[in-house]
Amino acid sequence: MLAQILAVVIFVAMFIFIITEIFPRHIITLTCALLTILLVFGLGMQSLDAILSTLNVHSIFNVDFWYAAGEAHEGGSGIDWATIIFIAGMMVMVEGMAHVGFFRWLCMKIAKIVKYKVTSIFMTFMILSFVLAMFIDSITVILFLAAVTIELSQLLKFNPISMILAEVFCANLGGSATMCGDPPNIIIGNKLHYSFADFILNTGLIAAISLVFVLIYFYLVCRKELKQTASNAVDPSTLPNPSEAIKSKSGFVMSTIIFLLAVVLLVTHSMTGLTVAFIGTFIAVLTLITSGKAALSLIKKVDYETLLFFIGLFVVIGGLEETGMLNVLANFIGNICGGNMHLMVAVILWISAVASSFVDNIPFAATMIPVIKNLAATVPGANLDTLAWTLAVGTDIGGSATPIGASANVVGIATAAKEGHIIRWGRYCKLMAPATIIVLSIATAILFLRYL
Amino acid sequence: MKQLIISVGREFGSGGHEIAEKLAKLYELPIYDHNLLRELAAEKNLDHDALAEFDETKRKKGLFRTVRGMNSSPAYNVAQLQFEFLKKKGESGESFVVVGRCAETILKDYDGMISLFILADRAAKTERIMKLYNKSEKEALSMMNTHDKYRKQYHNEHCPGKWGDSRNYELSINSSKLGVDETVKIISAYIDARRQ
Repeated sequence: MLAQILAVVIFVAMFIFIITEIFPRHIITLTCALLTILLVFGLGMQSLDAILSTLNVHSIFNVDFWYAAGEAHEGGSGIDWATIIFIAGMMVMVEGMAHVGFFRWLCMKIAKIVKYKVTSIFMTFMILSFVLAMFIDSITVILFLAAVTIELSQLLKFNPISMILAEVFCANLGGSATMCGDPPNIIIGNKLHYSFADFILNTGLIAAISLVFVLIYFYLVCRKELKQTASNAVDPSTLPNPSEAIKSKSGFVMSTIIFLLAVVLLVTHSMTGLTVAFIGTFIAVLTLITSGKAALSLIKKVDYETLLFFIGLFVVIGGLEETGMLNVLANFIGNICGGNMHLMVAVILWISAVASSFVDNIPFAATMIPVIKNLAATVPGANLDTLAWTLAVGTDIGGSATPIGASANVVGIATAAKEGHIIRWGRYCKLMAPATIIVLSIATAILFLRYL
Repeated sequence: MKQLIISVGREFGSGGHEIAEKLAKLYELPIYDHNLLRELAAEKNLDHDALAEFDETKRKKGLFRTVRGMNSSPAYNVAQLQFEFLKKKGESGESFVVVGRCAETILKDYDGMISLFILADRAAKTERIMKLYNKSEKEALSMMNTHDKYRKQYHNEHCPGKWGDSRNYELSINSSKLGVDETVKIISAYIDARRQ
């Protein structure tokens, strides 16, 4: 009982501290992780096994951590090292691509292809944001896309706020489509052993259908604004040439090849047996080898704070899991739904979405994975796959509704604000909350019709 | 002429702004206060009112998030815009007077920088606010407390040193002892001595 109370108190305190931002979030989760080990596992449970199982270091030395031939089994509790290694590897690759000017080139090239027409840029940048976010973290996608949008807005004389927000929404939507698009999906995929193809065929389908409606929605809502700026004719010869963005031609070719290789490896990983941990490591090593002297600076640019945040988070959630507190939550949800799968899917989807629109979706998703596992094991008719896709969509999409729901939102708002374009809560929610509700409604309909 | 930057931190009602204006006139320098945002808005073709709402205000915790050093709070970003503006002015070699806006910290590395903090006795500040804003004593006290609270929160959020702590400024002076004009004389004597 003492261990359970301590685990809950540490977990709640961690959430409160993350929201208040009194300390950097990785310091918060690491401190809470240390407290979990000392107080929950040490004082409360007095179990060395619980500590070792949560730290999960032994998993890295198993062959199936790197190469999973045959039928995969469900991942254990504790630190998900595969997720951490994969994210670190992708961070190195993305830094390599940014270093040679890949993203800026791509954005400028597309703007040029559509002849710098504001409405066309608006629509194509939304699609670009969606597609890039399927494979690259949404923070990086928005960092570059928003910067180019602001640059173009100054040249073509339009207000970039709506365009940036539309890009942010599509980045979050694109992230929901694949296993590597958004951290909750990577964690869900690794913990429950789903492949890239599983995500594409399930959350990917929901995201693709939703994208059509999202494009129509943003066009209709912003069309007046776009029409006003359509008359601002600018001589294309005065605009920057996309090729100027490329800092090193050989580096550019190499990073494009590595990116495409990463995509191929991810898409085929269920066939090749290569795990995401292997792919992340391989891609990072390849990027560093081909980067030459820039390798050290790429390593320095990796967002270690996020990786440490994940490590601490997994330990704290491990505390809840080992003490059985997440089973209590699962039983509570199971009792509310009373075996009604429609209600269970709706509850998980919408509660995940509402929670993710106010708190970080990563700890929420990580907490809910053991809950849905328990629900699938104990409630007759509850299917783990359905619940996994529901959780993934809810956490990924819900984050778009408010300015603090997802990292991409913060980056988009901050990038605009750096140039003086202030986006307040009201302006943000007026445009983004209806889009979130539209996508969640579409997702609810698809989940009901396809899986129940 | 050698660059001269005079930063004036001030308590509400201390006459700090008036002192800054008189120093700017004396040394024939432009003054940057709330007009800084007007200039910034004109330069970037932005809506001044949208920026002014967040001038020298503290960000509300819980409503905004930080990701990789980037924050979604308008108050934080408006402050950063002003800091960048001041740094650019400093780098250009321009001489100017700046009121508030953490200038004593933001511009501390410039040789021509002289940082001042103007304070005053509570009674003198209350009297000044009552006269200037046509307020009752109670209203003046409330106004003073609110403004000073916001200034302190804003300053301490962006600077390692505390607002009004004499260790952060070259010269801290109580304007209620000699009055605004005499205080200006004392400060200008100090500035002249520093510039020799």
